[in-house]
Amino acid sequence: MRLQLAKKMKINEAKAYVAEKLNVTLEELCDVVTMSEVREDLGLGLAHVEPCAEANAGMEAKFKIAKLLGIQINSVEKFKERAGI
Amino acid sequence: MSESKKYFTRMGDGAIVYMTEEEIRQDIEAGVQDAAKRGKIDPLTEEEKEKLYQIIAMPGSLVGVEHGMQVVTSNDSGSDKINTKCGIPTSRDTNAMIHERLLGCDSVDIGYSDYNYKTVKGVAKREATVLKQALNKCTMPLFYGAMPNLGFYTKPDGPVDNWAVLLPEGKIKEAMTAQEEAVEHAVRDMVYVAEQMHDVGADAFMLDTSGAAGDADFLAALKATEIINERFPDMPVEIGMAGEFVLGMHGKLKYKDVRLAGLYPHKQVKMVEEAGGSIFGVVVNTNSNKSFPWNIGRVCTFVKACTEAASIPVHANVGMGVCGIPMVENLPTDIVARADKALIEIGKIDGL
Amino acid sequence: MSKELILEKAKTSILEADEDLALEALKEAEDTGVNLLELLSDGFSAGMKELGDLFGSGEVFLPELMFSTEVMKVATAEIEGKMDVKDVKPKGVMVIGTVEGDVHDIGKGIVASLIKTNGVTVHDLGREVPAKVFVEKVKEFNADFLGSSALLTTTMTEQKKIEELLAKEGLKGKVKTLVGGAPVTKRWADRIGADAYCEDASEAVNTLLGWIGNL
Repeated sequence: MRLQLAKKMKINEAKAYVAEKLNVTLEELCDVVTMSEVREDLGLGLAHVEPCAEANAGMEAKFKIAKLLGIQINSVEKFKERAGI
Repeated sequence: MSESKKYFTRMGDGAIVYMTEEEIRQDIEAGVQDAAKRGKIDPLTEEEKEKLYQIIAMPGSLVGVEHGMQVVTSNDSGSDKINTKCGIPTSRDTNAMIHERLLGCDSVDIGYSDYNYKTVKGVAKREATVLKQALNKCTMPLFYGAMPNLGFYTKPDGPVDNWAVLLPEGKIKEAMTAQEEAVEHAVRDMVYVAEQMHDVGADAFMLDTSGAAGDADFLAALKATEIINERFPDMPVEIGMAGEFVLGMHGKLKYKDVRLAGLYPHKQVKMVEEAGGSIFGVVVNTNSNKSFPWNIGRVCTFVKACTEAASIPVHANVGMGVCGIPMVENLPTDIVARADKALIEIGKIDGL
Repeated sequence: MSKELILEKAKTSILEADEDLALEALKEAEDTGVNLLELLSDGFSAGMKELGDLFGSGEVFLPELMFSTEVMKVATAEIEGKMDVKDVKPKGVMVIGTVEGDVHDIGKGIVASLIKTNGVTVHDLGREVPAKVFVEKVKEFNADFLGSSALLTTTMTEQKKIEELLAKEGLKGKVKTLVGGAPVTKRWADRIGADAYCEDASEAVNTLLGWIGNL
């Protein structure tokens, strides 16, 4: 979804882009079991899986996502601007 | 002589109906040809119609897409239905988190319960606060959404004369002028709200049911998108439509020299691209007097032509009464699942 | 000129919103003894019906429809002026409006316009019309038909109220009801006891004409 918004990519192109960035296959990208592990390992947001307190969620996850995918996320930029980071 | 096997399906108003293979195929063909004739587009191929038949006739209540073909979701309605329709008193940032962590959404929009930009303009900064809180908590992209709803700018609710009253009185020039005036008011309001949302870091902006009041309504959405794109290029805009063709309430309005009245999805999306829109929400209205096979045949024909023409992602609107979904409040999963599968595998959509 | 050609000319005058052509067709009909009522129904009205279908398919737009309506009004007035009043059967009276709490009136306006052009007297009550006002106006105008439009699932329940009030006032069966609007379906119409559900303006006109033909 982020790539559709950031770069107007159609679905197959967006999937290929994200899969490459996350170093997974297209099949793994669509697999909830694999992606749960990937999100947990990379801190990309998995707050509904225990232990929840240890997982990144919200702003901290978005910082990671922006860096990993090489895109700008508006709320991250605003956060940095307002926090003086 | 044994009777032909009959398959479970529904009418466009949700009523259960059992149809034979021949009846299903005939209805698919009729729906496809209706779309092809109206839109002046190619009908589905024989292979696609066969696939559509197989989807409709599949056993089981729920069907799904082939693994690997899953798509993403965007949303209109402001994610507040948990509150307004289910009667569960939740705050809107909680609604967004529920959509993300329980309902498996890929994005959602925050919106006001009176879901139109004319009303939202008056409370835009407060709405921005709600969005900001939600953005801090959610990982997935969040839009701010509402409807252009040009009709709300007419008297007695708004400043311009009501063209729906002027037209039957034969005051055609006055009706056209009223619509042109309303466009300016609506664009101003949408851009103002967009600015407030951009200031808090909105991931995107949604213009829902564009074209609901006709070609002037669509023009307002396009003009607003163009300005938003210029002023806030890092905030993408999704334009979701109201129907498969743009009603010619004015008839002469143009955007980039293209007359908007009468445009079908494969041409609507090009206008959205010209305006700088990032996602196109295609809509085909469900005919409640016709069967699901008829409706989905028609829908897939329009949507396939749209996705073929589009250079931006296309998200089919699969809410109540659109894109093959019956016109009922409590949606039957047997039809929703089949409509989704058909839209993805035949319509080649990028999202729902 | 043959009757068929004259009727075709009348139809074309509506499709092209050409008042001069309409008056030409009328004169030719008079000169050749073509029945003027037939000219009205099979010529001019046939043109309006075709135009309504073209509008429904997005090939013609509302202002064009309105221009043609003006020509239709002229043609109808000319024909009625030339005929004995008793020859012109009144088609009926309709009351129409958008229900209470609902401000959407574009579709309703289109229906009202199209029905007017078919010789039915239409009283458009506007928008946000309470159920009791619909019923009061049916009595005031001695209406044969009542049309209600609702665009929201939250307002369509007003259509049920209208049916209940009509029954309470002893008007069920005396006035025929049509319901329409985006969330409205035939299933809903049957549930509340409305006489007809109309998907679009063309269907509303055809339904009404069907009822009128059976009067």
